[in-house]
Amino acid sequence: MKKLNIALLLAVIGLAVYLSVLSPADMQMMQGKFLSFLAPFLRTGSAVQEQLGSMGQGLKTIDELESENRKLNEANRELLTTNNLLREIEGENNRLRLALEYRERSVFRLLPARIISRDASTWWNTVKINRGFEDGVETDQPVLTDVGLIGKVTTVTKNESIVVLITDETCRVAAKVEGTREQGILSGKRVQDSGAMGELQLNFLTKNAALEPGQKVYTAGVSNGVFPSGILIGTVKEFRTRPLDGQALVEPAVDISQTEDVFVVVGAK
Amino acid sequence: MKTLLGLAAIIPGVVAALLLQEMLPAVNVLHGARFVFVPMIFCYAALALPFPAMLFAALVTGLLTDLMYLHVVAGRVEIALGCSIVFFVIYGSISNGFRPAFSRGHWWPLIPLSALGTSSFLLMQFLMITLRREELIFDQAVIWRVLAPGLLAALFAPLLHAMIRPFALLIPENPLLAKSY
Repeated sequence: MKKLNIALLLAVIGLAVYLSVLSPADMQMMQGKFLSFLAPFLRTGSAVQEQLGSMGQGLKTIDELESENRKLNEANRELLTTNNLLREIEGENNRLRLALEYRERSVFRLLPARIISRDASTWWNTVKINRGFEDGVETDQPVLTDVGLIGKVTTVTKNESIVVLITDETCRVAAKVEGTREQGILSGKRVQDSGAMGELQLNFLTKNAALEPGQKVYTAGVSNGVFPSGILIGTVKEFRTRPLDGQALVEPAVDISQTEDVFVVVGAK
Repeated sequence: MKTLLGLAAIIPGVVAALLLQEMLPAVNVLHGARFVFVPMIFCYAALALPFPAMLFAALVTGLLTDLMYLHVVAGRVEIALGCSIVFFVIYGSISNGFRPAFSRGHWWPLIPLSALGTSSFLLMQFLMITLRREELIFDQAVIWRVLAPGLLAALFAPLLHAMIRPFALLIPENPLLAKSY
């Protein structure tokens, strides 16, 4: 091998090693710039996909009606989501205020967003949304729909963000089961057989929890946690005991493959 | 000239492959396996370009791939930037060994090398995740997700060659103009 080739090889490997020891924040910054560059293409691709998807429907409806319908749907979902959150918080407040002197919980401010790309890698369950730090999105903010929780923001660029879904193994959520005192840590599986709409595992339950299929699972809202309390995650599908704890298999409430509009919880009202 | 054009083409080629991968849905009948075109595009470059240019292609391909799929949760990076560069350097060095045959018009090594590279790349990612998460999970879905994209790449490799060849023939003294055509 020529000396030049060896020198170039060492230089490339050296550069790779240098990149690998950068801090996560620096890596995310580089990724943000790259994704900002790709964003117009991703948005165009998303628009084309959407156009193709709604082609059949477009033959039946007038454009204006479709547009108005979309706006109304968005508003309706926002209202439903706010309503659900309010109801959950109100219910919890009513239960606990007298006994524990809980202060009234704040109401969340929801930022509507659209999924521009979904589930694009083999090993991670993520989606990209069309909102970034210019819209007030920050890392670790929860993302949900009127039906339930979707995930949390991991990387924020100027006008886009990456959301890791609750079906991903790395997204861990403190969760509680409806009608019980059972709490555990919920996460996705490393490999979901059916893509984003997969199964969740609720671990570290007591062995004698005896959960029934159909029971609802909500976020537990631990102090200093990412997710507020009372957001629906899914329903129990199966409960099984393990040597040290109990584990419930949970079916997610939201089918992300059918979801286009989401909300980012950007703060309190 | 031909090397410079090849180098200039690698960046838009990889970006286009990444965008295409992003837009194509997972194949549910193959246990959620996805189309992965980047190793195939890189393999073509590694077969066509001289070693120093292949190294540049490995640098670009690895960096763009890592930037696209960087996964950071709670300040923890799953696969650090640069890991794919090392992979593509090794893979490119192996592929580059077939360059003499490729320049004589034998393009068939593109098929097994694309399959091998695509599956190896996914296996490397899976092993790195496993190492990071400190728990080995290996089931049927994992095997499908590693092997199926490789097989899909093998199917698409002749198509890629057929798409690039007319352009390559337009460039003077291109290796693809070799006698065996």
